[in-house]
Amino acid sequence: MVERAPARGAVSTVEHERLQRNFAALNDQFAAANEVLSAVGRSAGDPDQVLTTIVESARRLCRSQAAHLYLLENGFYRLIKAVGLSEESIRFITGHPMPMNRETLIGRVGLDHTTQQIADVLADPDYGRQDLQRVAGFRTTMGAPMLVDDQVVGALSVWRNEVSPFDEREKNIVTAFAGQAAMAINGVKLVQQLEARGAELARKVGELEALREVGEAVNSSLEVGEVLSTIAKHAVRLSATDGGSIMEYSETERCFLVRSTYQTEPQVIERLRTTRIHLDETLVGRAAKLGRPLAVTDLETVELDPHLRVLFEAGWRSVVAVPMLREGQIVGSLVVRRKQPGEFSGETLALLEMIADQSALALLNAQLYRELKQRSAELEVASRHKSEFLASMSHELRTPLNAVLGFSEVLLEQMFGEVNERQEEYLRDIHGSGRHLLELLNEILDLSKVEAGRMELEYSTFELRALLDNTVAMLRERAAAHGIELHVEVGPDIDQVFADELRLKQVVLNLMTNAVKFTGDGGSVVVRAVRAGSEIEITVTDTGIGVPVEDRERIFESFQQGGRGPSQEEGTGLGLTLSRRIVELLGGRMWLASEVGAGSTFGFSLRSREAADQPRSGRPPVGDVVIIEDDRPSLDLMTAYLSGAALRVTAVGDGQSGLDAVRRVRPAAVLLDIRLPGIDGWAVLQALKAEPETSSIPVIVVSIVDERARGAALGAAAYLVKPVSRDALLDTLVAAGALSAPEAEGELS
Amino acid sequence: MSHGRILVVEDNPKNLKLVRDVLRYSGYEVIEATSGEDGVRLAYETSPDLILMDLQLPGIDGVEALRRIRTSDRTRGVPVVAVTAFAMDHDRERAFDSGFNGYVEKPISVRRLPQQVRDFLRLGGVR
Repeated sequence: MVERAPARGAVSTVEHERLQRNFAALNDQFAAANEVLSAVGRSAGDPDQVLTTIVESARRLCRSQAAHLYLLENGFYRLIKAVGLSEESIRFITGHPMPMNRETLIGRVGLDHTTQQIADVLADPDYGRQDLQRVAGFRTTMGAPMLVDDQVVGALSVWRNEVSPFDEREKNIVTAFAGQAAMAINGVKLVQQLEARGAELARKVGELEALREVGEAVNSSLEVGEVLSTIAKHAVRLSATDGGSIMEYSETERCFLVRSTYQTEPQVIERLRTTRIHLDETLVGRAAKLGRPLAVTDLETVELDPHLRVLFEAGWRSVVAVPMLREGQIVGSLVVRRKQPGEFSGETLALLEMIADQSALALLNAQLYRELKQRSAELEVASRHKSEFLASMSHELRTPLNAVLGFSEVLLEQMFGEVNERQEEYLRDIHGSGRHLLELLNEILDLSKVEAGRMELEYSTFELRALLDNTVAMLRERAAAHGIELHVEVGPDIDQVFADELRLKQVVLNLMTNAVKFTGDGGSVVVRAVRAGSEIEITVTDTGIGVPVEDRERIFESFQQGGRGPSQEEGTGLGLTLSRRIVELLGGRMWLASEVGAGSTFGFSLRSREAADQPRSGRPPVGDVVIIEDDRPSLDLMTAYLSGAALRVTAVGDGQSGLDAVRRVRPAAVLLDIRLPGIDGWAVLQALKAEPETSSIPVIVVSIVDERARGAALGAAAYLVKPVSRDALLDTLVAAGALSAPEAEGELS
Repeated sequence: MSHGRILVVEDNPKNLKLVRDVLRYSGYEVIEATSGEDGVRLAYETSPDLILMDLQLPGIDGVEALRRIRTSDRTRGVPVVAVTAFAMDHDRERAFDSGFNGYVEKPISVRRLPQQVRDFLRLGGVR
């Protein structure tokens, strides 16, 4: 090539040889560069191999005894690759790392960012590592900095054991190779960074996932044991520790009580539970008072408090106590521990603090729940006491009232002689006051029953008109005394209603009594019943004094009475309150429309039960149905639904009576509730299906809980979930063959 | 000429006096007992036609007294009516469940009591 170029004159042998040498060297260099490049390409994933190739090539191509590669770490060069160095030299270099200063060649190349050499280290006054020189024996040394983005990451250096400076070509080689090495290292770093970031991300995701689980456990369950054990488990897992516990702080005892543990030996748990972990005497307490985590890296080296002693004696070596705080109050403590001594990283502590925060919430929730349960138990007792008190008060008050009313009545009846007019008037006052007291007593009792949810309604079908007439009759004498006219108006489309007759009468009587009471002489009171859609509305309208707007809500409250009527009659102050509650219990509502001076209309609605509205004469029952149901309202409702159907209903309130009834009656169908006192519905169903005499009777489960699959598995003919509509009930009975379709249809008309 | 012999078991003296006077006025012979034990003993000794029994009594209560009355052949057939100031619904049920033949709620109606007693006596006659 170049050498073959026609020369103008003869080329000297010396010159030729030099050219030959250069050519060989260049060739060599080219081959080496290739080698390095291909090594780099080949082992992109294995930077160590690249560095090895670089160091070996550098030594060969620079005709040196040794080549070595350093990485800069914390201001010191650390030897990572070497060829041609004795074991002793390597040990010496490793034992005496070189700082970035001018005493060493690689220090200088790092400081200057340039490739440099020291022709003879013994002749360089600034050279400071004669100690190394004595061990390794080199004289001339050359080095190049490894730069990434103009930052020194390391250095490549070559040695000759004789004084023989490197030439420009060799300088270029070392420079190029250092560059390659820097790239390889940078690649590794990038990959490592990426990997580290990936790992960090994965860890963070894991932590978040765990925190979410902890949060979920805290929110989903009031079963505090479950929540705390979930928390303890995650705390141990995330902090990479070997076990842990959660303690609850007792303010009264100034002590921490172990509530949950994870990966802790049973005997240790037992000892922890019996150890007083006092606020003022333990690591746990100190951490709580300081409001931050406290760690012990080695239990062997510290003075042990009672808690730590238990742990240490069981082989635990390092512990961190993380306080659980809520609004500045100590709630408890989260403790994790290892079987080995060691530090806890800031990250771990931060994570544990987050978990402790969640746990504090869980413990507080649990505490509130406990208090709530206790409170409601107390309330229940109080409510029972109240009921008992009312019952006994009622008894105690009725006994003397009995004598008051009785003897005044005896005298009024003139059983034992005449009384004069004035005496009779006073006797009527005594008797009237006694009746009033009795009325008050009854209403208090009723109201307390409503409020305790213990007023039982007895539904039946009756004529509304008769009830209204009857009520009016009771007041006629009194109204006549004031010249007040009483009227009853019942819509033509209203016949029978289905309700609690006595309670309904109580409401109507109360409203009418009020109306008469607050109506002036010569006025009128009208009670009307009209159909309004699916409801019946009953109104009592008077021509009395009216109720001012500001009193319209108040008069429905206990012991609040409207302005005194002209008759100055006394009332109990409970009548309207009780009436409204009864109407609501019957499924309706009560209202008031009034104009001061013109009169008032008190009205209430009554659910019109179509099923029971129509008289059911003429169709004799064709089959029996047994209803096994302990809940009175549900039973009433089903009975009402069936009252129109051609079925005879036998109702029982518990499982055993249900079985007996079915065996006795052999009904066309059984309606079975599941939650029953004594043997439950499932057992009843099983028993019925197991007996040949009853196994073919269709059983329709009517339950508040939806467990259709179980019902079907046990042989239920159908499964209805409460609330059940009339149509659904009748359709199901038709489907079960207990009722023929036209009968059911007929009832719908 | 008595319409019948009535044993009244009642611990409150005023109420006992009231019932006694009203019934005597109406032509009944009245025997008084102020405790359950007395009631059981007098039921045995005097063979009344009807017993009016307060439920809440010192010593054995009305229900227990009734049980004892019903265990003796001599008194088993006598109708026993509960007279009580308990006003809760379940009191009435309890009275019937315990086997009383009737129930009179306090305060009694002086006007109605003689009629009620006549009805209960008819009940006894039917038995």
